Amino acid sequence: MAATTESVKADAAEAPLLNKRNLIFAVAIYCVFYAWVRWYEGVYGWSAGLDSFAPEFETYWMNFLYIEFVLEVSTAGILWGYLWKSRDRKVMSITPREELRRHFHHWVWLVAYGVAIYFGASYFTEQDGTWHQTIVRDTDFTPSHVIEFYLSYPVYIITGGGAFLYAKTRLPTYQQGNSIQYMVATVGPFMILPNVGLNEWGHTFWFMEELFVAPLHYGFVFFGWSALGVLGVVNIEVAALAKLLKKDLA
Amino acid sequence: MSASQSAVRSRAEAVKVSRTFDWLICFTLFFVVLGGYHVHFMLVAGDWDFWVDWKDRRLWVTVLPIMAITFPAAVQAVLWWRYRIAFGATLCVMGLLFGEWVNRYFNFWGWTYFPINFVFPSQLIPGAIVLDVILMMSGSMQLTAVLGGLAFGLLFYPSNWPVIAPLHQPVEYNGMVMTLADLTGYHYIRTGMPEYIRMVEKGTLRTFGKDVAPVSAFFSGFVSIIVYVLWHFFGRWFGSTAFTTAS
Repeated sequence: MAATTESVKADAAEAPLLNKRNLIFAVAIYCVFYAWVRWYEGVYGWSAGLDSFAPEFETYWMNFLYIEFVLEVSTAGILWGYLWKSRDRKVMSITPREELRRHFHHWVWLVAYGVAIYFGASYFTEQDGTWHQTIVRDTDFTPSHVIEFYLSYPVYIITGGGAFLYAKTRLPTYQQGNSIQYMVATVGPFMILPNVGLNEWGHTFWFMEELFVAPLHYGFVFFGWSALGVLGVVNIEVAALAKLLKKDLA
Repeated sequence: MSASQSAVRSRAEAVKVSRTFDWLICFTLFFVVLGGYHVHFMLVAGDWDFWVDWKDRRLWVTVLPIMAITFPAAVQAVLWWRYRIAFGATLCVMGLLFGEWVNRYFNFWGWTYFPINFVFPSQLIPGAIVLDVILMMSGSMQLTAVLGGLAFGLLFYPSNWPVIAPLHQPVEYNGMVMTLADLTGYHYIRTGMPEYIRMVEKGTLRTFGKDVAPVSAFFSGFVSIIVYVLWHFFGRWFGSTAFTTAS
């Protein structure tokens, strides 16, 4: 009886397997932040974003760009540095319950990566189509690019890097080496950012109309395929969870 | 960790944990696949999908199914072949349409002020359902590739017909005959994409009159078969669980 009471008390004091507050916060923070970004685009895209030689362009768009560069580099440095510095050096000796809890936490990271990828690769990338097919660009740093290439892509890169580092530093499943598909799913979308160099070089070398299916854009397509690496990550996770649960769920 | 110890304390908790992971996996898979599929689709077929005046009887019908069958084939290769989940193609297409509709509404209309009936996305759901059903009923990759791939191409135009038909009505404007879609396009000027790069009704197939769309759909179905097979194997590779060797 006493032992049972102690066990119940221990369960009540134990951290939940899935911290729902973290999950909701992770999704909400991206949605709220990007809602604000979209509002900013709506207000200052047309009023200050059409002529890159105008003083207001410098005020509202170039300054936005400089600020986001600083914030992104510092966020990546602090976040990735923290994850690495606080790594579990005895990761192979954690209890199965703790491992399960960490898998849940890892999935909070992956959910956040899903949301970040959606905004970067889907929402802001297709938005770029309508902006540039409507407005003739006179700079590489158009309002659309300031958000798409230099904000939404770094955000999903930072999130993907965080997910990968979390798995690598805290989960026994990922200690046997580096998962090839996890690297594909994070490094591939990251490569879209360097590919911006090719894109901008091409757009300035050839005075191009904004045809979205132009071969110049195929670098983005190739690296976009790598998002499918998430299928390999799912397979690894399902196998790891089945091993942890050891129950017939049928 | 102990090899014999379970991480859960009861069967009920195991079921709850498993179901929770199902939801987390579905959510993540939906949005990550959506991101990759959408960036692929908009950059290999996007212009035909963005604008009504690009939705012609020839290139739109040919290009879109060929480029759209890629991710469904890859996702089916994992969801069906590993888990016997039969909605891989539909999941992909629903994701793509979600991304497109949100964009067309908030950005094409909300930021650059094009009317929705000028920028709505193409319909792909019927083809995806057929692809999933054929795989589920047959359990055969070859049959799904041949019948499903062909159906995916053939069904595209009929699936879109109810919404596109009114916009393909002929109108006479300043002595010229054009479609209502063309006329809308001339009125909504896209400065960065001038008229001379619009790729519609190219070649001489239009001299066949009414046969343009069926011939294009049949060709599209043929190439979709080949693309399905190719992407099935891409999907298998992406689903691999291999690790690099630890040093």
